[in-house]
Amino acid sequence: MTASSSSRRRFVRNAAGTTALALIPYQGRPAHAGTSEAAVPFEPVFFTPAELEFLSAACERIFPQDDLGPGAVALGVPFFIDRQMDTPYGKGELWYLSGPFHEGPPQLGYQLPFAPRDLYRKGIAAADAYARQRRGRKFSGLSANDQIDLLTAFEGGGVQFPELNARMFFEQLRRNTLEGVFADPVYGGNRAMQGWTLLGFPGARADFMDWVDQNGAPYPFGPVSLARQPL
Amino acid sequence: MKKPGCLALLATLFLFPAAAQAAPEKETQLIEKGRYLAAASDCAACHTHDSRHPYAGGNPFLLPIGTLYAPNITPDRKAGIGDYTEADFSNALRRGIGKGGKPLYPAMPFPSYARMSDADIHALWAYFHNDVAPDPASVPANKIPWPLSMRWPMTLWRIAFAPTPAEARKSAERHFPSQETARGAYLVEGPGHCGACHTPRAITFQEKALSSDGNDLYLSGGAAVDGWTPVNLRQDNRTGLGRWREEDIVAFLETGRNLHGSAFGGMTDAIVHGTQHLTDQDLRAIAHYLKTSLPARKGEAPWTYDPAVAKALQQGTLPDKGARLYVDRCAACHRTDGHGYAPAFPPLAGNPVVMNPDPGSLILIVLRGSTLPPTEQAPSPFTMPGFASLMSDRDVAEVVTFIRRSWGNNARVVTQDDVRTFRKHNGQWIDDKPPSPMNRASSPRENAP
Repeated sequence: MTASSSSRRRFVRNAAGTTALALIPYQGRPAHAGTSEAAVPFEPVFFTPAELEFLSAACERIFPQDDLGPGAVALGVPFFIDRQMDTPYGKGELWYLSGPFHEGPPQLGYQLPFAPRDLYRKGIAAADAYARQRRGRKFSGLSANDQIDLLTAFEGGGVQFPELNARMFFEQLRRNTLEGVFADPVYGGNRAMQGWTLLGFPGARADFMDWVDQNGAPYPFGPVSLARQPL
Repeated sequence: MKKPGCLALLATLFLFPAAAQAAPEKETQLIEKGRYLAAASDCAACHTHDSRHPYAGGNPFLLPIGTLYAPNITPDRKAGIGDYTEADFSNALRRGIGKGGKPLYPAMPFPSYARMSDADIHALWAYFHNDVAPDPASVPANKIPWPLSMRWPMTLWRIAFAPTPAEARKSAERHFPSQETARGAYLVEGPGHCGACHTPRAITFQEKALSSDGNDLYLSGGAAVDGWTPVNLRQDNRTGLGRWREEDIVAFLETGRNLHGSAFGGMTDAIVHGTQHLTDQDLRAIAHYLKTSLPARKGEAPWTYDPAVAKALQQGTLPDKGARLYVDRCAACHRTDGHGYAPAFPPLAGNPVVMNPDPGSLILIVLRGSTLPPTEQAPSPFTMPGFASLMSDRDVAEVVTFIRRSWGNNARVVTQDDVRTFRKHNGQWIDDKPPSPMNRASSPRENAP
């Protein structure tokens, strides 16, 4: 048992540690080095243009571009979340949203009557109002440092929006942003699988039997998506 | 069927003196025999379009000349064959002549059914006339434009190309090395009408041979049906059944899968409605006949496994783009060594379908996907997703070529043009996807910017 779990750990470590480098020649282009890839403009189906401005600014702060790779905007995360809000999940059809609602310990679960898309609609309006009130500008007009300050305050739980605690909104945004970074590109984010490349995650190939007994060998194949990929 | 059985039992136990019992019991046996023969003849493949309306017809045949609909063959007097006499029934099955002299299209395999014995036709008649429920559903009128809609040329066709029942019986009663071979030949060449798909047809549409003593084109592989290319069932080593053992054939006909491959296309129906219901003895007879009466046509060099490609992939080397696509999309189930996880996921190494000179089935299965039919003996319906929306013509050509040339397979290269042409002519079969969670009707990728 010890041996098998330690070798599994080694496998995971190898997969995570060695592939990121091995991928570079496979991809045929540098997969990181801070190359800024412009966001692809799109027609939102849920967010208003003003909401989209907030969303883009906020998720880029949560997953910023840096030396290791592109940020949330270049990865298509705002597009991902916009489409996500148009799914049964976004509409709250997968959640129990009827009362009674009681504030209590976290194990009692979600205690608001809002679907994810409501959290965004109410949260973005309240966050922009908060930014104007505290810093004199809407959120997307602020400097990166000011944006980080506000998001930190939201995350801390000390800010109360009219209909919800800012922490609920922040957590929703953080979770969906990371989903957009790391979910299969078929869902609109993780553009060109760069989120996976960053991790060395091999994607939806679904089978690694050939590598199970090759301890320590680097996994040589780049990631693969459920979506169509150019040869 | 439960009811007449119970009645017969009641009758036997309480009501009638011994002498009178024989008749209903005999009738029941006859009907059961007819039911068995209807399965062996796979009448349902064409005449049951909707499983809630058995034998009520309606299955469309999309032919170059227009669309034919299989008729209702339930004993309904208006919509079906309720007004047929047994002689009418026999004429339709064995001579291709409907009631009132109307010639049938040779989509009805009467040149094969012509071999069936009077006793078997009588049993089928008893079953269809007395046990199948009359169904008033009428089928759509054939959509064949005049002058092609005229039936009289079918009479000329029949005279020119179809054997008379007497000729067919003579061939069916030819000498066989054993009882078992004779039974296998009868089932394959007669009710089973395997040649309807698996024997090539002449330009005038008749099968080029109707029995194993005809010529060596019999069961040597036919032209595509609904996009699928029926394989060669002769003993050719690479493209036929040369490496299958008799028990492999029995397993395939019983469960739709074995260690060499899995059923797809029209064969799934033939297995689900037909062969899975046959007795072990009959399946063994079929297998024995196929193995012993149909020698190879071509001297194909025996297939042997070549591990070179598998070794390269297992070391992380991708020799070409086809190999990369294979590793990305196929290898999880079919494995880098091409052995698959038979009988769940079929092997591609050494598979006669893969080495077929005509790559149609392989292209179609990559584009459309396929679901292995659940049978009584093997109830798991494994599904392969289709890749039509994920792969360009070039991708399909690359991956199909890789599969056809790896692991000792030696079939010819498939080009992008081959795939483009295939797609152009088979759109309706490609879109006719098996339902599965992986083939959703609409997918978010279509919205991507």
